[in-house]
Amino acid sequence: MTPSALVLNGLVVGGMLFAIGLVGILARRNLIVMFLSAELMLQGVSVSLVSWSRHHGDWGGHVLVIFVLTVAACEAAVALVFVLQAFARTGRLDAAAWQSLRESNLPRSIDRELPASDAEALTFPHLTPAGIEPEADEDALLEREHV
Amino acid sequence: MNPEGSLSSTGSLLAVAVGCAAAAIWLLLPRGESGARERAARRFGMLLGAVSLSLFVATGHRLGGIGEEMVFLVVSLVAVVAGAATVVTRSPVYSAIWFALALAGVAGVLLVLGAQFLGVATIIVYAGAILVMFLFVLMLAQPTGMASYDRVSNEPLLSAVAGAVLLGLLTLFIGRLSAGPAACCDPPSKAAAVAGSPAAPVAPEPTPAVDPLAADHVARLGGELFGRHLLAVEAAGVLLLVALVGAIAIVSRTPPAERLDLAAQRLGS
Repeated sequence: MTPSALVLNGLVVGGMLFAIGLVGILARRNLIVMFLSAELMLQGVSVSLVSWSRHHGDWGGHVLVIFVLTVAACEAAVALVFVLQAFARTGRLDAAAWQSLRESNLPRSIDRELPASDAEALTFPHLTPAGIEPEADEDALLEREHV
Repeated sequence: MNPEGSLSSTGSLLAVAVGCAAAAIWLLLPRGESGARERAARRFGMLLGAVSLSLFVATGHRLGGIGEEMVFLVVSLVAVVAGAATVVTRSPVYSAIWFALALAGVAGVLLVLGAQFLGVATIIVYAGAILVMFLFVLMLAQPTGMASYDRVSNEPLLSAVAGAVLLGLLTLFIGRLSAGPAACCDPPSKAAAVAGSPAAPVAPEPTPAVDPLAADHVARLGGELFGRHLLAVEAAGVLLLVALVGAIAIVSRTPPAERLDLAAQRLGS
């Protein structure tokens, strides 16, 4: 029985989400972004499971996705605790900060050219500090009818 | 119409789409560049990503109605684009926000696929609970400014190639599915297996048990969950409890020596 078009499209979307998550978990170095990528892979698997469930007319995929949700919640709780502990020890969320745990025959990964901080490229909204009266423009005050 | 020719042209289109997607992800990933070069690379990467997505849309299978097709197109595009943005964004906070949008898209895809309960549960459990937990940890642990390790990647080219290989294999397999299985590999239908006579010609089941528009969809799902899968539900409950206790135990752990000191102080006072 050939799957319907909707099932096939759902499978493609699930595969794309899984591949994107795989790239993220391989390439990124921030521990939290790595976990987000893993969750993205779980989402791709969920979409594929529901697609197959629709194809077979069976509840098994739906039930499995519910368990995926449960296990993802547990995994996130425990993993975030580990991330917090790692941050407390090294002060960084960098996966490479833990490369002393690598195999003894592997070379050390060294950042050759870390980019200079481009802080000027970041523009954060500026909030007026509370409790301090803003400077008033004298001319504008005089122009108003009621102050 | 020549099915063989259309199949091969679809295959080459998909190959181009996968290649474009890999190049786009590679260009968009943080590679330690800055300034005009980075901006140009990002612009070109977005262009390639758009080309790849439009090729995927063009090779996708047409659904029945225009309304259903448009809805599926929009929600799946939201899911995939926001997922890619989650991976390539420099700032982890923005990454988490993009992930929330990707979750919304995935929930939409699940709804279109007929999983109403799962779509709602994804929003509530993931976006409502898990993502907020991620954001809490980010706010607790994020050092000031943007860290240097957020602006470089581990082997961006090899990662993009690995993702492309996986995506290419998956789309190849799914394309073969749509071409129809060979006679040898036709899976035995469930009814035939139950009847114990696999050789008997059985018509395909006309009414699937999962009816997305059934009024008692959630009730049936609950019946399945607490009927056939009751033991698994109990195990999942135990798992949640163990994860809760374990997380608290790890985070509140102090070295044994300090604990002894604390106990001695308390006894002395």
